[in-house]
Amino acid sequence: MAGRVAVVGAGMTRFVRRAQETGKELAWEASREALASCELTLDRVDAVCLTSGPDAFDGVHMKGEYLSDGAGAFGKPFIRTYVGGGSGVFTAIQAYYTVASGMADVVLAVAEEKMSSTQPHPQGAFLTIFDNLLERPLGPNLLWIFALEMNRYMHAYGLDKRDIATVAVKNKRNAADHPAALLGQADITVEDVLASETLAWPVQRLDVSPISDGAVALVVASEDAARAITDRPVWIQGVGWNLDTAYWTNRDLVFPEYVANAARSAYAMAGVTEPRKQIHVAEPYDPFDYKELHHLEGLLLFDKGKAPEAARDGVLNRDGDLPSCPSGGLLGVGNPIAAAGLMKVAELFWQLRGEAGARQVPGTPERGVAQAWGDLMQVGTVVVMGRDGGPPVTASRISPTAVPGRALSDEEFRGAVGAVEDAVGAEYAWDAGVAVGRFLDGLEAGMIFGRQCRRCERVLVPPRMFCERCFRPTDAWVQVETTGVVQTFSICHVRWDMEPLDPPEIPAVISIDGSDGGFLHKLGEVAVDEVAIGMAVEAVWKPEAERTGSILDIAYFRPRRADASAGEEGPS
Amino acid sequence: MIEKIARPDEIRRIDGDLPVRHRYTPGVAGEIFFTALRDRSVVLGSRCEACRYTYVPARLFCERCFAELAPDVEVGPGGELVSFTIAFVDVDGEPLEEPQTFGLMRLDGADAVLLHRVLDPADEEPLEVGERVEVVLRPKSERTGSILDIEGFRVVE
Repeated sequence: MAGRVAVVGAGMTRFVRRAQETGKELAWEASREALASCELTLDRVDAVCLTSGPDAFDGVHMKGEYLSDGAGAFGKPFIRTYVGGGSGVFTAIQAYYTVASGMADVVLAVAEEKMSSTQPHPQGAFLTIFDNLLERPLGPNLLWIFALEMNRYMHAYGLDKRDIATVAVKNKRNAADHPAALLGQADITVEDVLASETLAWPVQRLDVSPISDGAVALVVASEDAARAITDRPVWIQGVGWNLDTAYWTNRDLVFPEYVANAARSAYAMAGVTEPRKQIHVAEPYDPFDYKELHHLEGLLLFDKGKAPEAARDGVLNRDGDLPSCPSGGLLGVGNPIAAAGLMKVAELFWQLRGEAGARQVPGTPERGVAQAWGDLMQVGTVVVMGRDGGPPVTASRISPTAVPGRALSDEEFRGAVGAVEDAVGAEYAWDAGVAVGRFLDGLEAGMIFGRQCRRCERVLVPPRMFCERCFRPTDAWVQVETTGVVQTFSICHVRWDMEPLDPPEIPAVISIDGSDGGFLHKLGEVAVDEVAIGMAVEAVWKPEAERTGSILDIAYFRPRRADASAGEEGPS
Repeated sequence: MIEKIARPDEIRRIDGDLPVRHRYTPGVAGEIFFTALRDRSVVLGSRCEACRYTYVPARLFCERCFAELAPDVEVGPGGELVSFTIAFVDVDGEPLEEPQTFGLMRLDGADAVLLHRVLDPADEEPLEVGERVEVVLRPKSERTGSILDIEGFRVVE
């Protein structure tokens, strides 16, 4: 049985749009504050766990090594992990097992992100999360994923966008009480959210968290060390993480089963059998407002489809039955990706210690859950934390306290002495491989092929030579239909670099008839107000002479016509 | 499942890239370092008295003990050549027209070493580790607040 592990200190920088500090200077400010909060010096730290997002953000390859000095890793065991947006919470998990294994008594867990370095827009660093052959040619951007998932979620439960918008309002209002917040706004209303610019319907500007810079650090200790450091340790009672399939267009977009799996692991470890009674405060991951609701359901804190009405009825407010994102979350405090997740763990620490000041949830919260999400929207990371029972000790401090992190104006950012602008020459050639190569051969011939797995009785589209569930070779090629059903769609008004798209595009996830899968494509020959989930569609092929063995050999999908099989585009 | 590719030119492939640039700003200590180099012709370091170590370029904090440091120690312009290499090929492995010499120099008063070019070593005796060198700055009118405001190191007799 592993020993108990506690969080004993935490610190963070202000989350800002363009930090004057370098990434390592931000990491140092947060780390120094975390150590100071529990009156430790760096020589007491045995090991350092760090996370930070894509190297392409900063143009610094091996960014972990670059950041190591600011994280206090000089001369110590050090490792950086990265699981996309799930990284911040995962770093707390990593610190947990580094201590629980007996390898270290005191660990510094540090999360840093500087997104302002990325030009022209941080989304550019994420374009390669999309499949090089099946998705990138369509020109997807990160908003598509969220918009497609949000639309599917709203459709499945008949949700009202107003209820979802209350999450953005709650979090930005909560953040008005957070001394490190970027987007706190005490007077924001649902009308403001609903009136904001539509980016990729149903996603509007104020549904989305802001690009940010910042860092957060925790001090994590073994039971003996924790008892010597503080009389108010907050225990890491349970941890869990879980991945869904990498084929996101084959996934259940309505319910995040991977988050539920991670939560079940963490609850089991923590001895939580009735999360709705035993969890008193939650910090679910909220890069978009609907995601907080999606994740509260994944965390098994609400029935499927029921979190939005809880938001509407005030249950999630700071003084509600289940305070959710009392920090202000990513929507309000900001979203320096890796750092934002660890901010949630720090908030639980402060809430459970009674140190959150104006953000403090009433009552005597004894246990909370923090969660983050990421990779290709497929990883869930969950931490359950709790304090010793009994009456809460009245906190003598309000945290976070000192909040450095100075924001530069755009003019200062452009004019900073010594600044360099460059690009890492990251060109590549991507081979189709066996399965996708044959799939593309099929498209060139006007056919769609899948691979059959006889064990789980699925026809896989996109095809793969092995079944990721059964972990055995797939058995046979199967020609499937060139028709399908719209699973979800978005109406997208911006490119990845936020330049406007006029007319808008209609990306959609289409399940292919005769298969158990589907893929991303675009819809055409349909008015934006006529598109609907569940609509039967058919592939419109490019003229045969123009096909090249590309996903673009299908020009688009259009509403299915009763009189004909799949259409062909006229010569252009 | 491994198949032999007989005609590599027939493989379906796609050429891609990551269309991002980065704008790296030098931070709190870095801005002071580059401003001093450009305007006052001095190389600034930061001294940690507790660790008895002087960093160059100047830093905001000591990585050994986490103390906050002031970027206020002028080091050099003389120093010692700690090591050097002579490059005959560029990053793609193509031959350079003229070999280039790069060196690590410990400036007087510093503990950390600085990487830069070694200027015109070919005309002199072969370079030796441990030789005395000094910083050569570009003319003030040509400086931009860059590490290239230092033209390189020169061997001193």
